[in-house]
Amino acid sequence: MRLKVNGRQVEAKEGTLLLDLVEVPTLCHHHHTETKGLCRLCLVEVNGRLLPACATQAQEGMEVRTDTEDLKALRRTLLEWLALSTDLSQAPALLELLEAHQGQPQRWGSLPVTRREREPIRDNPFFLRDYAKCVNCRRCVDACGDGIMGVYALTLEDRGLLAHPTTPLDRPLPGTPCVFCGNCVQVCPTGALRPLSMEV
Amino acid sequence: MRTTCPYCGVGCQVEPTVREGRIVQVLAPDIPPNHGALCVKGRFGLDFPFSEKRLLYPMVREDRHQPFRRVSWEEALDYTAHKLLAVLKRRGPEAMAVFPSAKTTNEEVYLAQKLARALLGTNHVDHCSRLCHSSSTAALSRSLGGASMTNPLEDIGKTDLFLVVGSNTTETHPVIGAMIKKRVRQGAKLLVVDPRYTGMAEAATLWLRPRPGTDLFLFNAMARFILGEGLWDQSYVEERTEGFAEWQASLEPYTLEEAERITGVEREKIALAARLYATTERAGAYWAMGLTQHTKGTATVQALVNLALLTGKVGKEGAGLNPLRGQNNVQGAGDMGGLPDVFPGYLKVSDETARKRFEALWGVGLNPEPGLRMTEVFEAIPQVEAIYLIGEDPVTSEPYQDHLKAKLEALPFLVIQDILENETTPFAHVVLPAASFLEKEGTFTNTDRRVQRVRKILEPPGEAKPDWWILQELGKRLAQALGRPWALYPGPEAIWEEIRQAVPEMMGGITYRRLEGEGVRWPCPQEDHPGEAVLFRERFNTPSGKARFIPVDFTPPVETPSPEYPLVLSTGRVLYHWHGGTLSRNSQLKEAYPELKVEVNPKDAERLGIQDGEIVQVVGRRGRIRARAWVTDRTPEGVVYAPFHFAEAPANRLTLNALDPISRIPEYKVSAVRLEKLD
Ligand code: SF4
Ligand code: SF4
Ligand code: SF4
Ligand code: FES
Repeated sequence: MRLKVNGRQVEAKEGTLLLDLVEVPTLCHHHHTETKGLCRLCLVEVNGRLLPACATQAQEGMEVRTDTEDLKALRRTLLEWLALSTDLSQAPALLELLEAHQGQPQRWGSLPVTRREREPIRDNPFFLRDYAKCVNCRRCVDACGDGIMGVYALTLEDRGLLAHPTTPLDRPLPGTPCVFCGNCVQVCPTGALRPLSMEV
Repeated sequence: MRTTCPYCGVGCQVEPTVREGRIVQVLAPDIPPNHGALCVKGRFGLDFPFSEKRLLYPMVREDRHQPFRRVSWEEALDYTAHKLLAVLKRRGPEAMAVFPSAKTTNEEVYLAQKLARALLGTNHVDHCSRLCHSSSTAALSRSLGGASMTNPLEDIGKTDLFLVVGSNTTETHPVIGAMIKKRVRQGAKLLVVDPRYTGMAEAATLWLRPRPGTDLFLFNAMARFILGEGLWDQSYVEERTEGFAEWQASLEPYTLEEAERITGVEREKIALAARLYATTERAGAYWAMGLTQHTKGTATVQALVNLALLTGKVGKEGAGLNPLRGQNNVQGAGDMGGLPDVFPGYLKVSDETARKRFEALWGVGLNPEPGLRMTEVFEAIPQVEAIYLIGEDPVTSEPYQDHLKAKLEALPFLVIQDILENETTPFAHVVLPAASFLEKEGTFTNTDRRVQRVRKILEPPGEAKPDWWILQELGKRLAQALGRPWALYPGPEAIWEEIRQAVPEMMGGITYRRLEGEGVRWPCPQEDHPGEAVLFRERFNTPSGKARFIPVDFTPPVETPSPEYPLVLSTGRVLYHWHGGTLSRNSQLKEAYPELKVEVNPKDAERLGIQDGEIVQVVGRRGRIRARAWVTDRTPEGVVYAPFHFAEAPANRLTLNALDPISRIPEYKVSAVRLEKLD
């Protein structure tokens, strides 16, 4: 099958994700946890519409653009908002992206509510849940649920700026079905979940 | 740097980051078998090499009542060689036993059995899988001529029905448990046969809860029902098997009615399970110690093998017979000849052609008599005078602990080579400190026959040395005194090269270089061979090429409940711990599960007036232990369940050493006990 990416003809096999054909930043996408389509960082323009490259399959005749001025501005803004609302100090990849996109979070002023005030939760012998650093990518929820473990000790609560992953009824992890496999820790891109052994 | 998890047979690939002498985090790379997933043990339990209980220096003492004396390696090795030679001279090879370990590398097991066979002349070689899957090994070898998983773990993604029996998979092989559950979420069916309501039972499409020790009856009844309904695979049976008629006749007594009476499972459920298993093309059976650790362990596995053959499930993708091996290198320890009756590659010591092959390779004459099995060696003390124990803790893992301790006290010479002090160390005469998995090179073979690299990430602490080095040095001394040849190897890769030569049909194509990327599965005869995924596609490994049906009859467990001991004790493991607890309880894992809890069914608890969380005594014919009661219906009425990881409350003080007649595995899963309140 043939399609056009930024004006160039490209060959692709049935079922290929746009993400495999184009260079765009990603955040929520993870092939083990099957997380996709949430953070919008990988948006591309397909025949004039914006679609997430991580959740869209290539189709015959598609015209895909990845580098329009609008897309660049959108990515930059998304990154700036992340940096504004979240502590990215342990997410070097995101900080690099921010810089590469010449992001200037300060230009939005300060936010009324941010995640940064959240206190880290230490409720088990193995890892910390430091949601001040969380970007709601959902990877942890999917790792624990359908993606890998089928344990469902994590869920996403609330909406908008208040959205955050947590345990059912906000219980301490040892009071949930959690088996401390740490798969959520491994897929967390921001250090919001991190081994206690990393502290000190 | 990437290495292989040292806990269970899944063989997960791990990448530990070590900083300033501790592990900061463990990630899993995106390659088989685990594809980025881990369980709590691999993720958070790899820090035992830093334990204060590390054995750091060689130690020696004349007898067990003296304190240990720290000595140099020279002295320790000279002394050990001298003592072994003295026993050899006085009592002959039959008085010595060498136990390699399913926790050491293939190269090390190979050297250990070579030392025993080529230098000491004894076939008393065995390792801890005697206590876990020897029943599976026996049954599978007799029927199929091979004793490993027939199908690769990748097949889990292609399986439409899982028959999981006697395996608490989500706790003992968690990554496989998660893989199976995921496949079930995608629509596959899961039949679970287990007395306990495990994580697998929770995820099951159909859960059968037989009384402990009655699975054999259940399988025979399923087979009889499948035959009666005409659901069996006639052409498969005709073309690929033998012994059918005789076996069929033996099934006569196993009616559904009788099965219901004996197993306690409703006949409709048995029939439904049988129908589903027989009629699903891609149906794979998975099992573990719930089947094997019985006096009829071999027979029970055999009944399952018969069932799979009847329905044509072996030699096909997404199906097969899949014993889940316990220790990280159980598969490898067997492959490397860490068994009393076989050389590397499962070639029989009693077979002349096989013996000639190893006599030529090692340059010595070899003993044609199969040796004693581990459980028998301990019984044979003090006729057996010297035991060289590598990485094992029999005081915690063998049944009937008090009896075993008495035996060890009567043992004239015990060498212990290990990384951590454990319950058996106090019985030693010589202690040789070994390097842990983080501190040496080599290979482990996981449960689906994948040979994988173990890589050195750290220097061993103190004067600890890799097991292969210790074996090689000891061998050198024995060889000199005996005037026998003994090759010296610059490192594990050179040992592996000899293994490739020894068993080319199995390992010939597997080089360290190939293992740089992913592991490679045996059999792999040439370097361009990808490694076999599904075994027995065309023919079985028996002389006729056909699989054999073998009739097996139900016998009740040896110890049945009595008025004095009205409950059945079943032993096993929990997610957070491993085996005798030596490793896991010296890691971060101990905090998650610090003490022994026995599972008690709420009905039993109510009758006995036992509260959840109360400390009770579990009393059996051979001893008693203290434990915290966990009142839960995970365990059926009339049964209590105790993990055996806790040295201070050893479940194996209660178990009996009644053995399976064929595999010599002890009946860990059924002994009679009562619960006593403490006041
Ligand atoms: S550690 Fe717990 S919360 Fe995280 S994925 Fe595993 S089970 Fe879920
Ligand atoms: S905790 Fe980590 S993985 Fe989970 S949503 Fe937040 S950033 Fe994503
Ligand atoms: S499943 Fe087994 S091999 Fe994998 S991390 Fe857990 S203990 Fe280690
Ligand atoms: S990476 Fe595609 S939407 Fe997040």
